[in-house]
Amino acid sequence: MPVKSGNSSIRDRTHEFAGITERVKKSFSSQNGPSSSGSKPEEPPRSAVAMQSEFNRRASKIGFGIHQTSQKLAKLAKLAKRTSVFDDPTMEIQELTAVIKQDITALNSAVVDLQFLSNSRNESGPVSSDNTSHSTTVVDDLKNRLMSTTKEFKDVLTLRTENLKVHENRRQMFSSSVSKNPTNPFIRQRPLAGKSAASTSAAPPLPWANEGQSSSQMFPRNQAEGESQPLLQQQQNQQQQEMVPLQDSYMQSRAEALQNVESTIQELGNIFNQLATIVSEHGEIAIRIDENMEDTLANVEGAQGALLKYLNSISSNRWLMIKIFFVLIFFLTIFLFFVA
Amino acid sequence: MVKITALMVLKCRPEGSDPVILVNASDLSNFGFFQRPSVKEFIVFVGRTVAKRIPPGQRQSVQHEEYKVHSYNRDGLCALGFMDDHYPVRSAFSLLNQVLDEYQKNFGDSWKTVQDDNAQQWPYLSEALTKFQDPAEADKLLKIQRELDETKIILHKTIDSVLERGVKLDSLVEKSSDLSAASQMFYKQAKKTNQCCTIL
Repeated sequence: MPVKSGNSSIRDRTHEFAGITERVKKSFSSQNGPSSSGSKPEEPPRSAVAMQSEFNRRASKIGFGIHQTSQKLAKLAKLAKRTSVFDDPTMEIQELTAVIKQDITALNSAVVDLQFLSNSRNESGPVSSDNTSHSTTVVDDLKNRLMSTTKEFKDVLTLRTENLKVHENRRQMFSSSVSKNPTNPFIRQRPLAGKSAASTSAAPPLPWANEGQSSSQMFPRNQAEGESQPLLQQQQNQQQQEMVPLQDSYMQSRAEALQNVESTIQELGNIFNQLATIVSEHGEIAIRIDENMEDTLANVEGAQGALLKYLNSISSNRWLMIKIFFVLIFFLTIFLFFVA
Repeated sequence: MVKITALMVLKCRPEGSDPVILVNASDLSNFGFFQRPSVKEFIVFVGRTVAKRIPPGQRQSVQHEEYKVHSYNRDGLCALGFMDDHYPVRSAFSLLNQVLDEYQKNFGDSWKTVQDDNAQQWPYLSEALTKFQDPAEADKLLKIQRELDETKIILHKTIDSVLERGVKLDSLVEKSSDLSAASQMFYKQAKKTNQCCTIL
């Protein structure tokens, strides 16, 4: 039983292959079942043992399972791509991820079982090389498909984590400027011993004794760039004036923005690569469509020729018929003349 | 919306004396007509105070009511910007940087000798004020990020449409293979009628 039940994403070229085998049979009149293209399933030999059909049934089940898993994976990929900061279908994604993982492990064990079965069958009973090559080919094909599915799963997971990271960064960028202000007054009052850990921004030693923040580790680095970090300022006695300590230094925010830009560009490059892959696949599909159409054209032309011949033969035969008729009538009249 | 209210360039002498305002440009369209002079006075005063306090070679931001005053002192030449809270800090400082560069290009070192307020006119500053109301103009990084995001959205749409195209191509393949099978049947029928029965 060929492995094709329900696999609509896999091109089913069995009938083409069957046509080729018939043709080869006619031309060579040798044994059938050339194992030329190993990836296409062959017709099982007529002397199928029960285990052979069992093997095929299992293989077809596994293939169907792989196909279903890859469909679910496609859905998961779509969900992962479409996540935005506010509209995050996290629960669905996690459920789907768990389900897919389960499926993949189950399929893995099934494939291992299948291989074991085929090995055990090869050791016992009559061994035909076609059988063994067929079974090994099928098992290899299933393993490859499972591997590619797992790889896609991994890609989708990495994509999802990247998305989450980007969202976290964006959220931090927006929320940092809002949430810093309420916390600043408190920090200003406290003795700023703890500040040196938090503030990676350096500051040259201040004449103001209020702040103890004179960590100048990064000062040489900043001097090299010709800029320095913003500081905390003394509280002034003016009404309603409040100094905002700039927690995030200017340089830090610039570095962050640059990193964001770089990661965005990387994602863009990735997307372009995927686009290229998809379009090249489409190219192959288009070539096949073209072949099909050419076949159709050839068939229709042949059929047209056949019909034309038919028409000719009909019309010419009619002429013949008429002639025969006339000859018959002529003989009848002569016969009548002789009798009457 | 983010807004710049005023831009100033001052000369900050070392501690102890008031800085001298070199150029001043402000956009007071938000205030009523009668409040404008007082707001202008206020801006001048706050600007002088902030510039006096800023040590040379540093950037600072001061929050006042609903405005932030960003100041950048470079070798005794100060640039100040009065912006609202939403204006991103980074773009503010890059804008001040640009202003200072332009000023030094235009006026060289002549500002060092100026003693009076508002002694110079500089139309660039008022143009800059209107141009940089949009923070993306001042900060190239913001602009790039914005454009990249738009590009990413467009690419996502592209990929979606390419996937649709793939689906349609698949259906085309199916139809063409069906067509080929049907034409094959047609051919066989025609051959059969030709060979099997001679003319009735």
